[in-house]
Amino acid sequence: MSSVSEHETGKNSLSSKNTILEFRQAGFSYEKSSPFINDMSLSVGNGEFIGLLGANGSGKSTILKLASGILKASKGSIDLWGSPVRTYKNKDRAKLLSYLPQILDMNVPFTVRELVSMGIYPYEVLPRLTVDEAVEMVGLADKTESLISNLSGGERRRVYIAMTLLQGAGLLLLDEPLANLDIKYQIELLRLLKELREHRGITVVMALHDINIALQFEKIILVREGRILSSGNPGAVLTKELLKKAFDVELEIKRHDSGEAYINYENSF
Amino acid sequence: MGQVERNMKLKLFTIILAAMVIFAAALFIGPKFINPFNVNGIEKEILISIRLPRVIVSVLMGMALGASGAVLQGILRNPLADPYILGISSGAALTAVVGIIGGSAFLGIVTIPLLAFIGALITGIFVGAMGWKKGGFWPERLLLAGVGLGFLFSAMLMLIMSISSDEGLRRATLWIFGDLSIADWSVIPYGLVFIAVGFIISISRAKALNALILGDELSHSLGFSPRRERFILFISVGLMTAASVALGGMIGFIGLLIPHVGRFLIGSDSRVLIPVSALGGGMLLCIADLIGKSVLSPMELPAGIVTAIIGAPYFLYLLRRKDVLSI
Repeated sequence: MSSVSEHETGKNSLSSKNTILEFRQAGFSYEKSSPFINDMSLSVGNGEFIGLLGANGSGKSTILKLASGILKASKGSIDLWGSPVRTYKNKDRAKLLSYLPQILDMNVPFTVRELVSMGIYPYEVLPRLTVDEAVEMVGLADKTESLISNLSGGERRRVYIAMTLLQGAGLLLLDEPLANLDIKYQIELLRLLKELREHRGITVVMALHDINIALQFEKIILVREGRILSSGNPGAVLTKELLKKAFDVELEIKRHDSGEAYINYENSF
Repeated sequence: MGQVERNMKLKLFTIILAAMVIFAAALFIGPKFINPFNVNGIEKEILISIRLPRVIVSVLMGMALGASGAVLQGILRNPLADPYILGISSGAALTAVVGIIGGSAFLGIVTIPLLAFIGALITGIFVGAMGWKKGGFWPERLLLAGVGLGFLFSAMLMLIMSISSDEGLRRATLWIFGDLSIADWSVIPYGLVFIAVGFIISISRAKALNALILGDELSHSLGFSPRRERFILFISVGLMTAASVALGGMIGFIGLLIPHVGRFLIGSDSRVLIPVSALGGGMLLCIADLIGKSVLSPMELPAGIVTAIIGAPYFLYLLRRKDVLSI
């Protein structure tokens, strides 16, 4: 079993100094006959803000579950800060990464305060951040004592984000955090995460299926049938050919004179 | 924040005070009222050899069942979970009775809670396996499996009663209805140990229980192994339920009802909810036993019947609720 301090001193071999998450030829299958993730290699650098883009069933969620150690790769390796993610003690891993599933149960009996304070569970000492500060950061200060079941979908999402803030992990793995959110909350959440990256240096990997939102990212990993089609900046990744492969539709990304990118649907309807 | 904490402390203080008052009152109130400030010789004898063991048994059983309910509802993420409804109590009663009648009391009196524990574990694991599908518990499967097994075990208990001429027979009858008049000093120490160990385990894993309520993936993210935590917490339920059955038989609905009342009063943080449910369970069973002893005096109603009369309508109400899956 490895401890956090060992990883932080970096005595383990890191392929690149700043790589915090690395898949090497990772494979995974839910059923023996059909591999779901194939020969996947990717690396996430410290401080990156990455959108994992693909159609439903392309393997985005599975990739995040593999990265967080919930699922175990059947082939290849998945390293977190240079050591296999599944060799970390649960508590140690929880200090390094937070994973939020796509579906957040509304039927939990807790108040906002009770739920957010669970973020300190991996620690024995009090965190740098208080529950009230975390709740304040996601803009829910007036709902601290409300029950989760009385919140809207967007508020609930932000409560869980506040919990991960308290957890204080450097790597956030978020499965479709923007799904089912009104556009207002999508923008607010993205802004909040970017602020956190600025001020706390967190790294974010987020599953997405909305191409419009993907355009706002600096780095996109485009996934189809458990394989990476392409990765890089949106301009390079979101080409007509690759979008056709990933989503099976004719779409083209164009740019306004201002330089702002948009989807051209002209030939699609 | 200070306000919230002060309110919580006040509520906890009130609950503890209420429990103390009820536990004490259960000693002195009964078919015959005993004035605590003027106890004569016969009354002293009644207090020590009849009332005290019975109150201790009520409190222990009620605490075990209340805490078990809070833990079970959390690990199964199901508001209808209760050791009685899920058949765990009847599984415990059946193995204990089979053991007694089969003459395997080779370890002495501790055999009863021990066999009950084994029965509780086997039943619980079986019901859990029946209710598990595609990485989660299905509430309706769990309930049907538990109710079905409960029926089967109760029928087998009655079968044993009707064919056996053993002395254990009377005990078996009373076990089905949860009758505290069988309370016996000799089982209390073992019951106490089982319940204390189960209670300490459940309290020490209360954070993990909170995380489990959020779901397996979030528990993992918060640094817990969901399978291991669920198993450890289930062992605590097995210990407490088994001891409760060994002490006074099958008592239903305390584990169902009390955690809901607890959540309403002090919230859902398991670190507070488990001890509060334990106190609440102890209070409810003391009151139920008092009612059972008093309403048809000199006849006695088993406490299990009283709790069922109180609890079953609440169970039906929960079934009718729109958010039936919400604990």
